[in-house]
Amino acid sequence: MGIADTYSDGRRYVVDRPFALVVGLLVILLAVDFVDGLATGRIAVSDVATLVWDGLMQGLVVGLAGIGLSMTYSILNFANFAHGDYITGGAFSGWAVTYLLAGLGRADVGSLLLIGAGGSVFGGALGIGVTATPVAVLGGLVIAGLFAVVLALVIDRLVYRSMRDQEGISLLIASVGVAFALRYLIAFVFTTENRGVTDAGGVPEVRGYLLDGFVTVSAHDATLLVVAVGLMLSVHFLLQRTKLGTAMRAMADNEDLARVTGIPTERVVRATWVIGGALTGVAGYMFVLWKGTIGFNDGWLLLLLVFAAVILGGIGSVYGAIIGGLVIGLTSSLSVLWIPSDFARAAAFLVMILVLIFRPEGLFQGRSTA
Amino acid sequence: MSESESAGEHPANAGGDTAAATDGERGIRSTADTPRMDAEESLLAVRELDAGYGDLQILYDVHLDVTEGEYVTVVGPNGAGKSTVMKSVFGLATYMSGSITFGGTDITGRNPEEIIHEGLGYVPQNGNVFTSLSVAENLAMGAYILDDVPDEALREVYERFPILDERRDQKAGTMSGGQRQMLAMGRALMLEPDLLLLDEPSAGLAPDLVDEMFDKIDEINESGTAILMVEQNAKEALRRCDRGYVFVQGRNRFVDSGRTLLDDEEVRREFLGG
Repeated sequence: MGIADTYSDGRRYVVDRPFALVVGLLVILLAVDFVDGLATGRIAVSDVATLVWDGLMQGLVVGLAGIGLSMTYSILNFANFAHGDYITGGAFSGWAVTYLLAGLGRADVGSLLLIGAGGSVFGGALGIGVTATPVAVLGGLVIAGLFAVVLALVIDRLVYRSMRDQEGISLLIASVGVAFALRYLIAFVFTTENRGVTDAGGVPEVRGYLLDGFVTVSAHDATLLVVAVGLMLSVHFLLQRTKLGTAMRAMADNEDLARVTGIPTERVVRATWVIGGALTGVAGYMFVLWKGTIGFNDGWLLLLLVFAAVILGGIGSVYGAIIGGLVIGLTSSLSVLWIPSDFARAAAFLVMILVLIFRPEGLFQGRSTA
Repeated sequence: MSESESAGEHPANAGGDTAAATDGERGIRSTADTPRMDAEESLLAVRELDAGYGDLQILYDVHLDVTEGEYVTVVGPNGAGKSTVMKSVFGLATYMSGSITFGGTDITGRNPEEIIHEGLGYVPQNGNVFTSLSVAENLAMGAYILDDVPDEALREVYERFPILDERRDQKAGTMSGGQRQMLAMGRALMLEPDLLLLDEPSAGLAPDLVDEMFDKIDEINESGTAILMVEQNAKEALRRCDRGYVFVQGRNRFVDSGRTLLDDEEVRREFLGG
């Protein structure tokens, strides 16, 4: 190919896709700056490793919560805005049980069940942690999952089921209403203050020296990793290897055909809420365990990232939700190398927008569950 | 059924009565002596059926029978309600009045999830395979209502459609139209139904595949499964079937053996293009 060809190809590219060029240049600029930073010691390798690890953790939470959102979207055809508050609901129910199990006999049951609302009990004082109080954490984790399942089923029965034949937009708006109702119910019961729930100083850590500094991995990080990856693999197994999973994929694919094939669609819908709800509740609990604080707005704030992840991955795709979650988590975490951490969220959304510009159907093309 | 059908036939029905409606007993003309059957001897018996979609009535006083092992086709111009008859039988249209019995059981107004247990299989015209599922998974879904995938039925399907056997792990969405049609039939045959409902099986197929498709349907029928088929390709369908119904504007118009209908002057002139 001659120089003239190369030149005209290049020119056509610039004219047709000026945006791609800008993005390309920006990426190159960041990469150069990154390498330069590492070379000159301005950016520490260990800091980068810490940020990557942090992003991975955040990504796992987002991905886990995203699976439930994506599943319900692919099968029920609507974006459930109350999903964030299922996350919060799961977290609060689970942590109430954890407090109860960890502090029984040491504080009154009421304060424990309210997760120390009004500063009556502190998680730190109860010494809560996955190694110090494993039974309390495990019990809370299970309850968080179960409660979110019950919550999802009850709301489906009361609100969404009667609207099943409506357009997605009606359901979406109804779900926004459900979201508000849930959030302020939680705030009413547990108060609006953010509070620490774990004994942050008492969690075992492993510190590894990496070139120029330390990278710390705590027992709670490890727990999150094991639980999240374990559940993601289970979902994969369920979808690909079981009859119910195949039926879920079939229904996401073509609901009318599923019905004439004899697949009991209402039962599949219920199974979807059960599985999606459980993952969501567990994600909420793990999120709180990992960051060590709980607040009534946690799920709602996380929901924006979850939506970004799910849309990025291709809404409706379970694998897309996982990958999207990791991309969003890593982006928002690594972005602090260049921008103030207050804007980390914005960076995550920027990446989402960029991906969608070049691949509007999302990374996994959406609506396939597979 | 196609979108155009439901949208297209409303004005025609609302517009006025047809000649057929005034033409003898319930507007049905029998060209030879095909006596009206009793519900008891029919596998499928549709009687005085009014049905449609929501408030829109498509079918008026429709009668239709399929006996055990019989091959019946429904032909007629666009918007005649051919697909709607089939959907009504399978509980996918809005029932208004009349009755539908299958194997002596009243299935009027029942939903597809129940009807499939009675031994009826249905292959829709469009979207009749799960595109993101593999061939094997599609067939397994066909037997969803059973505890396990029936080995015998699965083997028969693979024998009948060797192409499916070769492509067990291929995603249905990546297959050709003809292969998808075979997969759709295979899926419906997994429950070894007594009656198979086929909605325009030749639609959208390349001409050389159409014959192959009709041959497959003949084979399925010869192995004892009754067929109720709706076809756009009226000549070929009537040539192959035992009995044919001609529908016009949601009403019965003619019923007779396929051969007789093909030879009938009026049927040829009006519906088969001379």
